[in-house]
Amino acid sequence: MDFSLTDEQKSRSREFYDTCKNLSKKRPPSLVGFEAIYELDECWEYNMYCAEEFAKKGWLALGWPPEYGGSGDMMDRVLFAEARGYYGTPGADIFGVQMLAPTLLQAASEEIKREFLPPIARGEVMWCELWSEPNAGSDLAALATTAIRKGDEYVINGQKTWNTGAHRAHWGFGVFKTDPAARRHHNMTFLLLDMKTPGITIRPIPYLDGSAPYCEVYFDDVRVPAKNIVGQEHEGWAVVNLLAGFERSGINEIMSMMRGLEQLVAFCNETKRRGQPLAKDPLVRNRLAQLACELAAARALAYRVADLQNRNEMSLMDASAGKIFFSELGERFAFMAGDILGPYGQVRTSRWAPLNGIWEKMFHEHFITTISMGTNEIQRNIIAWYGLGLPRMR
Amino acid sequence: MDLRFTEEQEILRQTARGFLAAECPKTLVRELEQSEKGYSPELWKKMAELGWMGLIIPEEYGGIGYTFQDLTVLLEEIGRNILPGPFVATTTSTFPILEAGTEEQKKGLLPEIAQGDLILTTALLESDGVFDASGIAIKAAPKGDAFIINGTKLFVDMAHVAGHIICVTRTKEGTAPEKGITLFIVDSATAGISCQVMPTTAQDKLCEVRFENVNVPKKNVLGTIDEGWAIVEMILRKGAIARCAESIGAIQTCVEMTVAYAKERVQYERPVGAFQALQHIMADMWTAMETSRYLVYEAAWMESNGLPCTKEASMAKAYVNEVYRNVSKWAVRLHGAIATSNDHDIPLYYRRSKAADTAFGSTDFHREIVAGQIGLV
Repeated sequence: MDFSLTDEQKSRSREFYDTCKNLSKKRPPSLVGFEAIYELDECWEYNMYCAEEFAKKGWLALGWPPEYGGSGDMMDRVLFAEARGYYGTPGADIFGVQMLAPTLLQAASEEIKREFLPPIARGEVMWCELWSEPNAGSDLAALATTAIRKGDEYVINGQKTWNTGAHRAHWGFGVFKTDPAARRHHNMTFLLLDMKTPGITIRPIPYLDGSAPYCEVYFDDVRVPAKNIVGQEHEGWAVVNLLAGFERSGINEIMSMMRGLEQLVAFCNETKRRGQPLAKDPLVRNRLAQLACELAAARALAYRVADLQNRNEMSLMDASAGKIFFSELGERFAFMAGDILGPYGQVRTSRWAPLNGIWEKMFHEHFITTISMGTNEIQRNIIAWYGLGLPRMR
Repeated sequence: MDLRFTEEQEILRQTARGFLAAECPKTLVRELEQSEKGYSPELWKKMAELGWMGLIIPEEYGGIGYTFQDLTVLLEEIGRNILPGPFVATTTSTFPILEAGTEEQKKGLLPEIAQGDLILTTALLESDGVFDASGIAIKAAPKGDAFIINGTKLFVDMAHVAGHIICVTRTKEGTAPEKGITLFIVDSATAGISCQVMPTTAQDKLCEVRFENVNVPKKNVLGTIDEGWAIVEMILRKGAIARCAESIGAIQTCVEMTVAYAKERVQYERPVGAFQALQHIMADMWTAMETSRYLVYEAAWMESNGLPCTKEASMAKAYVNEVYRNVSKWAVRLHGAIATSNDHDIPLYYRRSKAADTAFGSTDFHREIVAGQIGLV
């Protein structure tokens, strides 16, 4: 057993951290939390700028085969995610770089790979995910939006929802019902489409904190070239499952919490209450220490998942366990930090807000990780059914 | 990074698993709880023959020179089977001799330990019941070529069968409680030592040890006079990781037994394991186990490689304490009333979670160490 990094990995890691640290000098103060990049123009521009800087170093294609412009390995990808998470640096598109690219590498035709991978590696094209529908959330296979083949096009009609950043994205990937008569799981196709195609209407959904990073996307006779397919026609479910496997080990969020903890510790050291630093309060010490333990446990498990993935071994149970754990840790952290900040915990980014209002933001943003990427309840089903072999009730 | 066990470790694990399954059935565990000794000398001898007591002892002193991480692999199996006895007490008391003992002390004790002929334990806690140096009040006063120890130690693991006791004493009243602590290797047959087993939750033979004018020769000082607290910290650190490894094994058994029972037990004409209300709790038990596991493996790896890991050891102990208690509690509840019967095996695990929790530092003790380590002033 060996938890250490090689000297080469250590120096790569240092390079990732240094670069993200440098990029953070240009970070707009309005960029608070994970989803703000989709909100304000200056934040989106910063996202694109970071993408360009990462692309120059070839870091958006880490772990790809060299023939598609790739370099490094899976471990480099983990180390890069750590550094980005720690500094909260955007630019490595969650949907394009982190989820679609590895899926294309495994499941797409040569033509599709040649067309769509280079713009992702160059940080030019940002993607969104078109999966959920009003009546197909956790039960994604119940989707109803159709893509009917007409000649060398698919014609899409229906509605998708909860599409993060769809109003910013250049391209979208999604699953659509292509054979309404066929049985469940064998009736849908995975398609790539230009978000500027006529017939697409995008409406942001007001999120509970007043921001609007998620959208509804309406399709009215939207024509997509039939060649824009990933995997087999009507067999998009297999691609969905493949892509879901690339939904992150959580290391990014975990490192973001690590930095959050460091900043909260510094705040408690500097801030006096009842004539002494908050850090001297035994309750504060106990709660922060407990959180640090849980964070270390989350990180160790994320390494376990990464280690398995590096060797192309199955990590289904551990990946689900990790997702449940780090996301619910995010909830606990947000609530605890809010408690420690007292009345200031409710102040949005402004001159009254400690730590630039991050913990007020987190009071709302923690739902992103518990609900998206397969709700935690679905993850518990995965562990129970596929991991522990418990009977599935029908 | 490679988080797999070595082939050698896998062999150790398989050997231990097979051996303990055959030699340590739950009937024996129950019998030993009720027995006076609390361990089986015959089984102890067989364990010694497998090299377990000498696992961490270098070959030159009659051991087999394995690493700390190898030891935790074995402890995980021991915990899986909740083998009662002085294994943890002896190994965690062997480390201070290895690290701070004189050549004479090593030559005198280590081969005997490796042979399984000498049981050791460490006497740390006193009436305060705290794990920091402020709790050490028992006096060792110099007299000629010896020290005279007077006072009472509590919660001393298996002291009633130990041949030697490492006793943590106060030799000087100083400004800081950590100053003036001295450790002695005390032959438990010395006049003035009396021992009584305390009735505890796990019936694991924690003892009250009274020292009345106990004469200990100066050559039995372990480490440096007045500067023994660093050794105690090392014992607590290694002991915490060791008990965590044991707990991981116990947690795994709790999860496995619960899942197996949920597949078997039929109510409402279906296995109760088909109900999501129960499935999700089992998923949480499994998740808690896995988060604990890699936290402990990482701390064990650091300790094994000589990396500073005060923070990691305390994080593991504070975290695993709660996980073991929770998982074993859920194991009882998901079994239902049947597992509240003392004839059931699950309560053996639940009761041991209490013992595991207090040994080598309680949750709050370790959290306070973590609080300092993460930079709180």
